[in-house]
Amino acid sequence: MIDLIEVFDRAETGPLTSETDYYMKRYVPKLAEVIARYGIKWDKQTIVNTDDELTDNVFSAAVDLLAEAGAYCPETNRVMEFTRDEILTACAQAPTSATFGEGRERKAMRGRRPDTTDDRPWVHVGGGIYTTDEQVFVDTVEKMASFSIVDSVSVPSILHIRGKDARVRSPQEVLATIKTVRLAREGILRSGRVGLPIINGISAASQPASMFAATYPDFGLRPSDGFLIDFLSEMVVGYEALQKVAFYNTIGANIGSTSTPLFGGYAGGAEGVAVTATCYMIMGNLIMRGTYHYNAPLHSKLHLSSTKPLIWAIALSNAAIGRNMGYPMVNLPYLGGGSGTKQYHYEMACYMLAVVTSGGNVFSGHPAMAVQPDSLVPDDHRFHAEIGLAAAKLTRAEAEPICQKLFPLFGDKLKEPDKGLTFQEVYDPRTKRIVNADYQRVMDEVREELAGMGLEVPVS
Amino acid sequence: MGDDGIFEELKQSVIDQDEEKVLATVDKALAAGVDARKVIDDGLLPGLDVIGEQFECEEIFLPELMQAALAFQSAMAVLEPKIRESGGEGPKKGRIVLGTVKGDLHSIGKNILRLLFETSGYEVWDLGIDVDLFKFIDKAKEVDADIIAMSALLTTTLIGQKDVIDALGEQGLRDKYRVMVGGGATTEEWAQKIGADGWAPSAYEAVTLAARLVGAQAGSAA
Repeated sequence: MIDLIEVFDRAETGPLTSETDYYMKRYVPKLAEVIARYGIKWDKQTIVNTDDELTDNVFSAAVDLLAEAGAYCPETNRVMEFTRDEILTACAQAPTSATFGEGRERKAMRGRRPDTTDDRPWVHVGGGIYTTDEQVFVDTVEKMASFSIVDSVSVPSILHIRGKDARVRSPQEVLATIKTVRLAREGILRSGRVGLPIINGISAASQPASMFAATYPDFGLRPSDGFLIDFLSEMVVGYEALQKVAFYNTIGANIGSTSTPLFGGYAGGAEGVAVTATCYMIMGNLIMRGTYHYNAPLHSKLHLSSTKPLIWAIALSNAAIGRNMGYPMVNLPYLGGGSGTKQYHYEMACYMLAVVTSGGNVFSGHPAMAVQPDSLVPDDHRFHAEIGLAAAKLTRAEAEPICQKLFPLFGDKLKEPDKGLTFQEVYDPRTKRIVNADYQRVMDEVREELAGMGLEVPVS
Repeated sequence: MGDDGIFEELKQSVIDQDEEKVLATVDKALAAGVDARKVIDDGLLPGLDVIGEQFECEEIFLPELMQAALAFQSAMAVLEPKIRESGGEGPKKGRIVLGTVKGDLHSIGKNILRLLFETSGYEVWDLGIDVDLFKFIDKAKEVDADIIAMSALLTTTLIGQKDVIDALGEQGLRDKYRVMVGGGATTEEWAQKIGADGWAPSAYEAVTLAARLVGAQAGSAA
């Protein structure tokens, strides 16, 4: 694989072009070209693709896209170009596992192939929802970490200092980031699983100074945790991201290369998102030096990832990488329904069935459209992790008919999703036990409905 | 071919996002003596309306929208001088200063909005991403804008929208411009809280909002 300094140099030596020209003369036409070249087409019905020829074609199209369009560095206005040989060598040398955590919690997340039914995928729970109350923050992290099936957590964000929201790039942002990390580790300590990894202790949107400051070892993060570094707009590799790569690669930390291809944006529709998402995973290894990938395609208008074409595209990108590269992947589901609603659970089950059978690891999602402060409800995440582990025992062909049954239960609600609950509305503040009977009833009913559809979800 | 035929041809060339065909049809219409203003109003803009509807219904996506917009802009480069030669004014509906607020590096939503504004007949000054609050204000003063439109994707950058509105107030300029806000992290409640004149949940709805705000601006100025 070409070395990292050489990668950085490509941002200074590639062809000079404006951002508009990069999109209109390179990325957009090349994406259309590779989609046509490999005959990639969504039939507007399938949710879980089972056609391996199509899967491999998506991978080939993604390689061609990077080789022919390159990536764009806005600070230098240059295209970072890579040859096909360089790309394929990087794919062949990509990590196929990433080791996280310390002590008895130290484990490896592995790249998975589609239709693997005899392994246990990595189980990651949580999400970066804004939390207003610091006690709720610690309780939320403690509760998530205490679930024995959980291998790693994402933690909510605390955006305020002394009651005021921290402005981006301000000194208060540095302090808020440090506070988030310290309280996250405190929550994990209280769960009794001190070595449990946090794989997004710091939001990818944070400035490099905040991320580096919060990485100071005394604050509780370690190289064996995960650090997210994201691409900005489609195919854009900014200097802030490369600064983070320079730092986290140097300290030997797990880098989670992170991407959010937009359905309806430059990537276009389902086919474009499938190819671009796959291309990001290739770039995540080659450019970001990731040890795992955080795949988060999103609908540009609805700001969620549970539409039918998006689930198809996300699952397909997992299968393409799973069959051809083996890079470990988690996928962040942005769901329409609010926490604790049936809609939310149906969406999660459909998403999980599609991506886990296609080679993704298990990652519980969070509400997007119906998000509100403190709406990370840990027992949702346990239930969704259980669904993910149940899905891992199925093949894509077995998952597809269940997904087709699930989609009509939430598809029409995506534009106006059901509102959900907050942590405080579900738990007793002292015992942290569920006291909302409706919340538990909804979950029990969905578990029963899933069993009726052919997905038995054992309670962990 | 009557005027209706040429207008239909102009409309279709935009729907096809075919720049060469758009320019050839514009030339053909002008050669046939069709007024440049009518070429825009009765031919190109109806085509862009269809493109906007197709974008909203997810029949086409941003690349196709951009192709149609680029074809329209090429046609306008031919038509606007003709309109000025005949003593007329451009068909602009209003002047909009647009950007993503300070600290926010996200551009796609803002770019979609720019295209929809432009193809709906507005003059747009796109200040890009990570825009300093004074850039919004200075540009609005410079171009005598009707609207200042601000995007923010992140919860941590929302405050940049409030900063601009507060600064407009401190400079005694708040009533001079209509201010609209949008972006992933925004809500209607947020827009009301910071004193914006309007908020839209999508780029397409932002165009409707802009028309309403420009109309209100004209009404209050009268």
